[in-house]
Amino acid sequence: MIIHQNALPKQLERVVLLGGRGFIGAAIRRQIEAQGASVIAPASAELNLAASAAADKLARLLQPSDAVVMLAALTPDRGRDIATLMKNLAMMQSVCAALEKSACAHFVYFSSDAVYNTALSRVTEDTPASPPDLYGTMHYTREIMARSLVKVPLLVLRPTIVYGLDDTHNSYGPNRFRRAAQKDGKITLFGGGEETRDHIHVDDVAALTVRCLLHRCIGTLNVATGVSKSFHEVAEVVARQFKNNVEVIKTPRANPITHRHYDVTGLIKAFPDFRFVALEDGVARVHRDAAGRA
Amino acid sequence: MTHLGLVSSVSASERGFRVVCFDADPMRIAPLAQGTLPVSEPQLDELVAKNKARLEFTSDPAALQACDLVYVSPDVPTDDHGSSDLGAINAVLERVFKAARKDAVIVVLSQVPPGFTRGKQRDDRILYYQVETLIFGRAVERALHPERYIVGCADPAQPLPAPYAVFLAAHGCPILPMRYESAELAKISINMCLVASVSVANTLAELCEHIGADWSEIVPALKLDKRIGQYSYLAPGLGIAGGNLERDLATVCDYADRYGTDAGVVRAWVANSRYRRDWALRTLYREILSRIEDPVIAVLGLAYKQDTHSIKNSPSIALLEHLQPFRVRVFDPVVPASAAPHLRCHGAESELEACEGADALVVMTPWSRFAKLDPVDIAKKLRGKLVLDPYAVLKAEACRVAGLDYHTLGMQS
Repeated sequence: MIIHQNALPKQLERVVLLGGRGFIGAAIRRQIEAQGASVIAPASAELNLAASAAADKLARLLQPSDAVVMLAALTPDRGRDIATLMKNLAMMQSVCAALEKSACAHFVYFSSDAVYNTALSRVTEDTPASPPDLYGTMHYTREIMARSLVKVPLLVLRPTIVYGLDDTHNSYGPNRFRRAAQKDGKITLFGGGEETRDHIHVDDVAALTVRCLLHRCIGTLNVATGVSKSFHEVAEVVARQFKNNVEVIKTPRANPITHRHYDVTGLIKAFPDFRFVALEDGVARVHRDAAGRA
Repeated sequence: MTHLGLVSSVSASERGFRVVCFDADPMRIAPLAQGTLPVSEPQLDELVAKNKARLEFTSDPAALQACDLVYVSPDVPTDDHGSSDLGAINAVLERVFKAARKDAVIVVLSQVPPGFTRGKQRDDRILYYQVETLIFGRAVERALHPERYIVGCADPAQPLPAPYAVFLAAHGCPILPMRYESAELAKISINMCLVASVSVANTLAELCEHIGADWSEIVPALKLDKRIGQYSYLAPGLGIAGGNLERDLATVCDYADRYGTDAGVVRAWVANSRYRRDWALRTLYREILSRIEDPVIAVLGLAYKQDTHSIKNSPSIALLEHLQPFRVRVFDPVVPASAAPHLRCHGAESELEACEGADALVVMTPWSRFAKLDPVDIAKKLRGKLVLDPYAVLKAEACRVAGLDYHTLGMQS
């Protein structure tokens, strides 16, 4: 559940995007700039949040009217070990220290649905966080660190599986399926792909983030569509984008089937006029854009 | 003179007893004395007119000196968490202790937490607690023909005082004396059983909506099972409303926390109730709000249930709070449109006027008059086809024949 501190959307002055050069960050940047607001998105080479001097450097950069969006994180493909966890926490420590010195108007922390236990099939913002691994623990710990900043209005966003053209990760789902179909002409599922998940297009993530910034929302929001589809359905949708026949291959199941559904009532209440990109349309858009780029 | 107090008084007069209807506020008494009632209940107006010779409305506490039996029935308000504010009943009880005769039997009828009545017991007073099970819209019927009386006593082994025993016996139903705490918890226990039944209905009705079963086909089978019973609460709804059930849920959780007992299932009922309350919003969002530009929504019913003016915890009001970006047209036979928490709300004069040009119709209160609406007329007035009818007020098949896209609880659309 989130609260709009601005009942009506209010023009943004400047947004500082930490991790703004990544897949989601870049999409957010495009949409903020389309609103006419300025964006600062320092590259990690300019501002290494894990470095000891990062807090002071960031504090000097910040202005009181800034909104800060923190997306920077070492994702699981960069490491799932304790060392990665500690680096991620060090990055957040820098951000919190900077915000202690130079409070901003709004702080948006991009967490993850990894804070929820994978055994939970239905999730709302009221579902207690119970991360099953170090990555989820990292995000939840960062959330708590952010909440310790008493002077800064905080919004925590917990996105589900995000897909889009520029995704550099290759996690199981639409992005990997498209690459596999393109490269090998086949999509290989875990088991029969029975597991259901909620997939959101990156443009929707960006649009919701911008809405939250304009309303200066506080609280916690799951960023999900409320519609879960099985990986098999997703694979079929991806396969249909290709002129050549793409084979969807089932394999012997190694792990139990788990499902994940989001009750997005909180999101609907916050933005009842928001329209999500349907999975079929989103996958088609990605495929079209990828073809255009090629 | 609360809803409970007024209904109890008028029903007692119908049973042939002379009744002093006392309220310290002359502004409440004046309209009552003239026959203008602040609440709407079937039979109530007629019975007031019929028994006016036996009803005395007064704000003079001295009038209580004439009474052998004094029922104390102020509302016990609750906050958003369902916690009771006992300030009003404490004040009224003190006033009655001062004004009533020493030999008068004083009966607490308000909903109070376990331990309350014993805490009020004093040597110079005869004090009882009596469970009330008022149902808005059926209050008079239930006061005239109670299923049983549950009476909380300081010592249940002692016979009830004569005036009290005579009054209860006049209703011809079982009388169950028990200790104060048991009676107070009995009231809560009744409500817990009702909530449990409704929660079962809601949980399985939602499943029906997804797997193609029809909950309305299952209910008769359940009611023929003697362990469940023909009067069981198995109609799915939009969560618990009205305030009293929420109060009891909160009370049980509070006591469980205090004593370390397990109330996990009660908290699950609360969560399920909150979830089901938003059924209409989620369905509207899925079918209309996320699909078309600038939709117009017609809402029939503002009251939290039929035959009442109360909007406390009304699902309709909750829905309207979240439809702010959209134009809405509302109609309720009793509650004025001004009660709707919405800036772009048109108050219609009739059901069909509310439907004019709307993309969707949502029937949020099961007023019986709504059942008389012809789906063909609705279809002619609507711009769209969507009808959300959680309580199945309209006939599903007739709506489909009229070309409407009909959605109700417990049935796949």
